[in-house]
Amino acid sequence: TQPLLTCPLKGNNLFLSQALFVFHSSHNDFALQLRILYQNRLSRVNLRELNLTHTNLVKLQAGYVGAQFWSVYVLCSAQNKDAVRLTLEQIDVVKRMCNSYEELELVMTSQGDSRRIACLIGIEGGHSIDSSLATLRMYYDLGVRYMTLTHSCNTPWSESSSKGMHNFYPSVTGLTAFGQEVVKEMNRLGMLIDLSHTSHSTVKAALNISKAPVIFSHSSAFSVCNHSRNVPDDILQELKRNKGIIMVTFNADVLACGRKVVNISTLADHFDHIKEIAGSESIGIGGDYDGVERFPEGLEDVSKYPSLIEELLRRGWNETELKGVLRENFLRVFREVENVRLKSKLNLESY
Amino acid sequence: MPGRSVWVLLVVLALALPSTGQQYLEEAERIMSSTPVIDGHNDLPWQLLNKFNNQLRLPEANLTVLNDTHTNIPKLRQGHVGAQFWSVYVPCETQNKDAVKRTLEQMDVVQRMCDLYPETFSCVTDPDGIELAFRSGKVASLMGVEGGHSIDSSLGVLRTLYRLGARYMTLTHSCNTPWADNWLVDTNDEKPVHHGLSPFGKIVVQEMNRLGMIVDLAHVSVDTMKAVLNISRAPIIFSHSSAYGICPHRRNVPDDVLRLVNSTGSLVMVNFYNNYVTCSNKAKLSDVADHMDYVKKVAGAKAVGFGGDYDGVTGLPTGLEDVSKYPALVAELLARNWTEEEVKGALAENLLRVFRQVERVKTDLQNTAPYESPIALEELEGSCRTNYGYSTDAGTAQRPSAALALALVLAPLLSVLY
Repeated sequence: TQPLLTCPLKGNNLFLSQALFVFHSSHNDFALQLRILYQNRLSRVNLRELNLTHTNLVKLQAGYVGAQFWSVYVLCSAQNKDAVRLTLEQIDVVKRMCNSYEELELVMTSQGDSRRIACLIGIEGGHSIDSSLATLRMYYDLGVRYMTLTHSCNTPWSESSSKGMHNFYPSVTGLTAFGQEVVKEMNRLGMLIDLSHTSHSTVKAALNISKAPVIFSHSSAFSVCNHSRNVPDDILQELKRNKGIIMVTFNADVLACGRKVVNISTLADHFDHIKEIAGSESIGIGGDYDGVERFPEGLEDVSKYPSLIEELLRRGWNETELKGVLRENFLRVFREVENVRLKSKLNLESY
Repeated sequence: MPGRSVWVLLVVLALALPSTGQQYLEEAERIMSSTPVIDGHNDLPWQLLNKFNNQLRLPEANLTVLNDTHTNIPKLRQGHVGAQFWSVYVPCETQNKDAVKRTLEQMDVVQRMCDLYPETFSCVTDPDGIELAFRSGKVASLMGVEGGHSIDSSLGVLRTLYRLGARYMTLTHSCNTPWADNWLVDTNDEKPVHHGLSPFGKIVVQEMNRLGMIVDLAHVSVDTMKAVLNISRAPIIFSHSSAYGICPHRRNVPDDVLRLVNSTGSLVMVNFYNNYVTCSNKAKLSDVADHMDYVKKVAGAKAVGFGGDYDGVTGLPTGLEDVSKYPALVAELLARNWTEEEVKGALAENLLRVFRQVERVKTDLQNTAPYESPIALEELEGSCRTNYGYSTDAGTAQRPSAALALALVLAPLLSVLY
């Protein structure tokens, strides 16, 4: 790889095109927008140029996004109703999308280095499995590679960080015994455990039992902004021991705690803080584009990722650290999760 | 003395007659060692759910010794079963409730069965896979969805079930779906609703053709049978139905439909359940052979197959009590002068032909885009669903401004998404 230019230019593409950075950006709710705006009818929309959303294929390429986890989120209000059906429909639309555009390629492993944007699938909220380990397994077979244990609602077996938004299972705290089985089964399958949106007790319970490193697919630093979606320092330290990753999110509301001005610097403060507590090897990028409304100035859509990198360079982050943030840290976690799956196969444990 | 030679003749005859029956059985075994039976429908997964809650590792669930089901591993071996479409049936009571999840759970138990008994079962999804399993001496295991209620009127769910390995879908079980009528509307018990297929039902069939999923017409009404046989681009199957001409039960296939089966190169896999064989609660093996003769006569030898419905029914004919008995039925066909080619057809070749043609149609349609229109919300029942993602005018053209308006309406919703 070629060395980065040390003086960041306005034309970001200049230096980025010389370096083989391939972004890994977890967590993008684009599939949800497809559902809401087009009822998943891909024939009615051109994904290259679509401008009703933060994401389109041209912007992804401009943002040097090399791999994207597409969230197959379904609303919490579908819990105990048609959550499973809706989740399968979202998985279907992502697969059709990745099949229909040659810029995209569906992948399910940490291997592979392609010119195309790798599509991966993540489930956002345990309510999607309707408390069924079989359903979890079928999602894995379909290519789902992470599950966020809760969204903004408790499941019968795990506690969310959101209080008062929904009224499901209010007495559940952390992980129940079944919740622990879910985590163990995810380890056995090789599915990444995502702890964004979960309560602190859920996080601690999961970190206790998981044999594999875990992720926060889109959360930021509680010390910098004490929002319930963010991760406090003690947990960041546990995450470092777990060798997991926190993919810092760009949602303006969780970055700035009510401050009016939210810009790239606000976001970079989170990066700096987490690096200090947990090391740069624990950091990734989890924008949350098309999942929320407000983004920092200068980071309005998926084409703006390079501006963040510029800012971090300005703050003295070096190439290795940035490569880690962009790609290597996530790959490390994903490979280790796959390793745990392999080891489990050899032990032939299963339900 | 004349008397003695008569005695000798009688003794010789007495010894010869049973050995003819024995000969046919030996012949059947010989044929089946290279052409084992592909059976269209077995409900063992439903038994596993009811008896063991799908916990395959329980000692009592051991399939090598399980003895109160029609199906277990030794019996499959004795019966020369080379391939089985395992039904991933979930009951009609789950319609509009948790049918989708329950179907996934049944698909999961079949896959785990293959994982747990790898020397016996080989989970496969295509004709080549079946033939490979034949050669390796394993039971090729495929999955059939039994009832359109399993997809909850969602083409996205249909596609994902295909991706998970389902290779046929019976369009209805014994209940209507929002888009197809079942056999009960041909009795006094129910009135027709769709008189076959609704417009969405036709799209389901077209999408199944595009995917390469075999359409199964067991359990559907006569109008549905005819509608499908008219529009399907690929041949279809009846995975477990018999001949109405012998036993006029509405689960069986009437003659005019049998003629359509013939003209479309389709297949009737004969059901062994007493009530569909003799229209009474008693039957014998030769009664089932009568059905196979009948289908052969009206629809042709290439339209016959085996669809026992083992472990899906109680009340099976004497001589066909469990899955070890197929060779006896084959022996009976041989005794009725079926040629070896016809017998092999019924055992396996007819199904393989249909399956290959279904896959050819899939290839022919590979440049067709997946069908995307959701069923109209008002066609769905039940309160166990959200209407999220449906426009209020599903099925009509969506102009951009309407889409924006929808987005604006939903914007407050988006704010709770983080």
